[in-house]
Parts: sequence; structure tokens; C-alpha cells
Amino acid sequence: MNNVTKPSAISAEDIVFTYPDGHEVLKGLSCDIRSGEKVALIGPNGAGKSTFMSHLNGVQMATSGKLYINGIEVSPDNLNRIRRMIGIVFQDPDDQLFCPTVFDDVAFGPLNLGLPREEIETRATEALHIVGLDGFEERSSFHLSFGERKRLALATVLSYQPDILVFDEPSTNMDPMNRRKLIHWLQHCENTILLCTHDLDIALEVCNRCIVLVDGKIVADGPSSEILYDRRLLEQNNLELPLALMTHELLHGLLQTEEMDSEHRTIISNFLHAHRHVHGSDGHVHFHLHAHDHDHGHLHTHADNTHSHAEVEHTHDSDQPHFDVAHAHDDASLTTHRTPGDGHEELIAASPQHKERE
Amino acid sequence: MPLDIDRFSHIESTIQRWDPRVKIASLAILIFGVALLKTLPMSVAALVMAFILMTISALPYHFVMHSMQWVILFLLPFFLILPFSYPGAADNHLLGLSFTWEGLRLATLIFVKALAIVLTSFALFGSARFDISMIALQRLKCPPMLIQMLLFTYRYTYTLLEEMRRMNTSMKARGFVPGTNGNTLRTYGNFVGTLLVRSFERTERIYKAMLSKGYRGEFHTLVTFRSGITDYVKAVIVLIVAAGLVVTDFSGHFSVATDGWY
Amino acid sequence: MHIADGILTGPVLIAGFAGTAILAALTMRRMDLEEIPKISVITAVFFIASLIKFPIGPSSVHLILNGLAGVVLGWRAFPAIMLGIILQTVLFGHGGVTVIGVNSIMLGGGALLAYLVWQLRLRFEFPKREVVFGTLAGATGIISSGIVLALALLTAGEAFVATAGYVLAAHVPIMIIEAAVVGACTGFLARVKPEVLAGQTGIRAR
Repeated sequence: MNNVTKPSAISAEDIVFTYPDGHEVLKGLSCDIRSGEKVALIGPNGAGKSTFMSHLNGVQMATSGKLYINGIEVSPDNLNRIRRMIGIVFQDPDDQLFCPTVFDDVAFGPLNLGLPREEIETRATEALHIVGLDGFEERSSFHLSFGERKRLALATVLSYQPDILVFDEPSTNMDPMNRRKLIHWLQHCENTILLCTHDLDIALEVCNRCIVLVDGKIVADGPSSEILYDRRLLEQNNLELPLALMTHELLHGLLQTEEMDSEHRTIISNFLHAHRHVHGSDGHVHFHLHAHDHDHGHLHTHADNTHSHAEVEHTHDSDQPHFDVAHAHDDASLTTHRTPGDGHEELIAASPQHKERE
Repeated sequence: MPLDIDRFSHIESTIQRWDPRVKIASLAILIFGVALLKTLPMSVAALVMAFILMTISALPYHFVMHSMQWVILFLLPFFLILPFSYPGAADNHLLGLSFTWEGLRLATLIFVKALAIVLTSFALFGSARFDISMIALQRLKCPPMLIQMLLFTYRYTYTLLEEMRRMNTSMKARGFVPGTNGNTLRTYGNFVGTLLVRSFERTERIYKAMLSKGYRGEFHTLVTFRSGITDYVKAVIVLIVAAGLVVTDFSGHFSVATDGWY
Repeated sequence: MHIADGILTGPVLIAGFAGTAILAALTMRRMDLEEIPKISVITAVFFIASLIKFPIGPSSVHLILNGLAGVVLGWRAFPAIMLGIILQTVLFGHGGVTVIGVNSIMLGGGALLAYLVWQLRLRFEFPKREVVFGTLAGATGIISSGIVLALALLTAGEAFVATAGYVLAAHVPIMIIEAAVVGACTGFLARVKPEVLAGQTGIRAR
């Protein structure tokens, strides 16, 4: 891992949390998340994910054990410093949007920091821009759609400019388009990210590391490419393989059988090839251009000849990623159509919302 | 939805441009002045004044009238009770009941005063967004904690309305029809209980969210108010009207309902 | 039930505001930071619940639930009801600015009495006592408000004696409805999430 030299963003040492009635929720939880890492915290219902999240900014205090955020211990004296560094995006946006207007909500955090007016306004505008809610300042959050509220909740945390972002089920109840935009944003975000979720597909696409929390203890901690492919581990803990990988597994299974003609075999192996690159263990997102004949008849005869494979590694360019730009770039594969002979290649949108980059 | 008095607060008008602090202070004084009136002519004058304010505020007629229906409905019983129950000798008989003009006059007085106050309240609160009115109240030395709680309650009223609507749909989907029976009462009890339980859990999460954004008991705002000469001129006009109404009312030029009415 | 603008005399209106200020100050003492969102959201629940209509023949009555507010919020029910009344005055456009004080005392006072009745349950030990005392608290909330309302009308003069009588009588069916709803609700809460109910020391001690 190239992150080893980076300082620790979240460091938990043997955290135990017991409710006053004796119910033990966290039973000795230890982990270390490095600055800049993107980690998924997964586990069944009632595993203690939310409780752990509440510990991160000292809303709940551990019964025993130590917790450090950016090297500072979470303790009653440090709460203001800790809360400045860590931003939590709640599952239900209505819990997080408690002000009369969108602007008030986004400005709430900066106002509590006692920043000057211009700074607060700049931060609010920027945060709203990132989530694609420009010009919503004077609207009321309760008149927005659920997707908009969900994005606004993120903006209210972003305006606070925390180093570490913690998400509780960021994708629930989001429509596929907004979910896709969120994933895109998360992939390009430079903050340390902790994603508590049941949506293992989002974990697979965003996080390079996975922590599995079961019954208050960590049962697995490692690269997503290992944990999220481990069917037995996941199913033992009320989870299941990410859908993308299930498809993958299913298709692999199909290839093993003898009942398929070579045409379909080629299509599937091309798909799996692309897939493996996207979800490979190196955690990078690649753009794939798979060129093959669109016409089935041609494909049948020239399948091997017309298959070409272009790969572009995405660079973290200066262009600030935000929700409104290019969706096609993060699609698993883009198909190009080449008419044999004239050498002309034409992009076929792999997703309906494909747009050219600005 | 009955909750949006500020639905038309974007409409530009002399009232809308008035500094909310000065506006609230002066119109509140006018309203309390009207509440003290006890003669019919001055109350009618107050109602005329209220209509003028409404016209200046440019709020749509249908919007105000919609609310007004309920107020009128609420005040109607006074017309049915007071003329027939006013103490003293009855002047007339109506449908076999003793009827007094004095009682009818009292009912009319209440009716006119209440309408004048409601209309003035519309000009007062309908001309600014709810949260702006609240912040203005805070600047007028209302306790900040109270204002904070009002804004919260206002905000979550909408979330709860949505929640209630969803629960209502699910109840209907399972064949619930409200009727005058014990089952309906019990269902409503459980309904309110469910709302309470969910809301208790929600408040815990809200508090966490507030803490994580650095909340320490204060609610800051960037809203600023500015008052100039015109704001004060408007205030002076309203105060003169209020004083005029009250002084003329008390001067004894007009007759006051005699028995028990002051 | 509310009293409208334009009926009561100046001194009564002022007394209403003064009494409300004193009661609010007393019932809001030592408030935690955490209670600010809590009371507000619960107030919103009562605000919304008061929109529920119970059908009586062709017409209907609105729930008031001030007794339930006492049962759930204890002393803090007073500020909650005051908030509800202010909000209603400002948002509904039905007037009531001058009687915010009187109405707060009327409904908030009823809520406080309901809380006292609710606390009496701790002296008894029988199954379903939460339902029984919830029912009593619901009835107390309404009928004491009805009495305050009738008294307020009497201060306006002899002319209102009959009106006050009718108003009090009109509270009786409302009281029965409220008592049943509040009883059902406290029974539900005692079963599902007793920590929502105020004054639980007794429950824990059992």
C-alpha cells in the first residue's frame, strides 16, 4: 500500500461501548485508517456501525479504549477540535437539515466556527456548487426532493471543510443517476472517507479497503478486492457479494459450461475482461474502450480480429470533479462501433445519460 | 396546506419593503390598540384601516379570504348566542326567544374587531418570510432560545406532515375508515404514539447532527436589517392611527354596550 | 379550543401575557442543550396531530392533545404548547396575536395539570395503569382548559355568562374523545417505548 507513510486519520484502540443497561455494542474495536484512505465499514444490521460513527466525533464516548482523530484523542475537552476535523453525513437528510433555508443549513457549520461573512458565503456557494445545487440558497430544504435533500446534507458538511468525511448509507433512496454522480464524486474526492453501508457495490467502486464489523467486533479488514470477493465471509455475516461481482461470478460459471456457442462466449469474455480491469485489485478506475463489431453477423466471423482494447487510466487532473460533469467517463465500458475497412470509430454511449465533457 | 402564511411574501409592496423589526413593532401596537376598542364606529374604522393595509401589502385577495372563512365560521356562534342571552330586559322576541339589540351589537363588535386584527396580522406576517419575521422578533429582544425553538418546530412540521401523510396512506391502504367509534380513537392513539416514538428517535439524531456541525447552543444568522427614514415614517403613520383609534374610542363620543361590557 | 381576538378586556390580555411569561420561565428552568431540538420536534408532532380530525356524525372535531403533551413532556409541556400557539397564530392567519398569553395559560395550564394527574399513577400498582392514568390525564387537560376558557369569558362581562356555559358544555364530548385517544396512546407508548413518557422514575424502580 502506498499509504503506509501517511499519518493516521482515525485510530481506534480497543474501543468498548456499553449502554447503561449493560448492553454491549462495541466489544473491543481496533483499527487504523490512514489519511486519504477510502474505507468501507460494512456489516449486518445492529453490528455497531452507527454507534462507532457516533464515537468518531464524540457524540458518544467509549466506555473504555482510546480513539484518535488526526492524532488527537477524542475526549470531552477536545470535542470542538475533533468536530472541526470530522464531518458526518447522516442517512436521513431530514436529521441534518434543520434550518429554515438552504443557505442557513449550509452556513450553519461555518457560522459556528465564527468565520467572517464573506468566507461563510464563499464556502456556502462552493459547497452548493459541488453538489449541483447552485442557486438554491433561498429555497427551503423541506420543499426539495429527497435526492436534492440528500445532496444538500452533504453540502452542509462540506461547507464545514472537515478532513475526514464519514457517510452513513450515502446511497439509500437515491435514484440511479444521483447514485452514479455520488460515486463519481466520492471516487475523486481527496478527503479521507469512511463509508458505512450495506450497498456493497458502492463500496466496491469507491473504497480500496473494507472493514467488516460484526457484533461489535472487526472480523475482517483488508483490500476490497479480497473482502468483497469473499462470498463465504460476506454470506456468513448477512451480507452478499456485490451485484456487479455476482454477475461476474455467474458469467464465469456460464463460461465453464459447454452449452454456449463461440459468439456468446466471446461477448462474455470481453465483458469479463473489461470488468476485471474496472474492479481490479489496484483500486484504480480505468476507462475502457472496447471496439468490436456491432453487427452480430460480422461478430460471428471476425470476432477475434475486430476486438481491440484501449485503456485510458484516469488522471486526477486539476479539474474539480463535481456532480454535473461527464457521466460517461466512469462507466464500466464504452463500446465503440467500427465498420471494418474504413477505420472509422464511433462512440456508442454505454449509458443513456452520456454527455461530452464540458 | 394551511401552514404557509409566507407563501406570497415575495410580492413587492410598501409593507414588504418595510424593515421587519419596525414593521412588527408598529403593527403589533396597532393590533393591541384594536383589541382594546369598545365602540362599534371605531372598530369599523379599524377594519377599514386593516383593509387599507391589506391593499397596500398587495397580498392576493383569494389567499386572505380563504383563511377568513374559518375565522368567520369561528365567530358565527357569537351571533347565535349573544343576542339571545344578553342579560336584562329583552327588547323583542324572535322565534320565541328573547332577543336584544344590545347583544347583537356586542356580537358585531367582536366580529369586526376580530376581522380587523386578523387582516392586520396578515399584512404583518404575510409580508415577510417566516424565518425573517422570527429573526426580526429576536432582534426585538425576544428570547433567542424561544426563536430557535420556533424555527425548529416550523422546520420539522413539514417533515412530520410528510410522515403523517405516508402513515395515513398506509392506514387507508389497509382499509382504515375513520368513524365515530372506539376503534378510530384507538387507532388515532397509536398513530400519535408512533409519530412520537419516531420523533424521539429523530431528535436524538438531529442533536448529533447539530453537535457534529459545531453547535454549542447558539443559532447564528447572517441576516441583517437596515432601517431608514421611510421605515420610521411608516411607523409614525401607523402609531398615529392606532393612537387616534384608541383615544377617540375612550373619549365617550360613541356609546358603549352598557351591561358588563367594561 | 381557542379564544379569539376582540373579546377579552385589556387587563385580562395583559394578565395572560404576564402569567405566560412567568410560567414559561418556571417551566424552562435548567434546560439542557439537547432539549432544544427535542422539545421543538415534539411540539411539531403535537402541532401536526392537532390537524387530525375525529368524525362526529357529519361534522368533526380536531384533536388538541394538551393532556398528552403533559404526559410526554412533563413541565416542559408548557413551553411546547406556547410554541405551538405562537406558531399557529403566525402561520395559520386565523389571528390570535393578542390572546397568545391567555391561550397559552388555558392549554398549557391544562397540560401541567394533566402531568400532575399522570404522576399520580406512581402511587398505584395495577396492570394497564398507564392506560387508565393516560385517559385521566387526557380528560384533565381538556376539561381544565375548558374551565379556564369559561372563566376568561366571564371576565369579559355578564353578557358572556351564557356563552361560557355553552363553551364548557361543548368541552365535554371533546374531553371524552381526547381521553380515549390519550389513553390509547399512553398504553401504546408504555408498551413500545416507555422512555418517551415523562416521569418514569417509577417505571424504572419497579
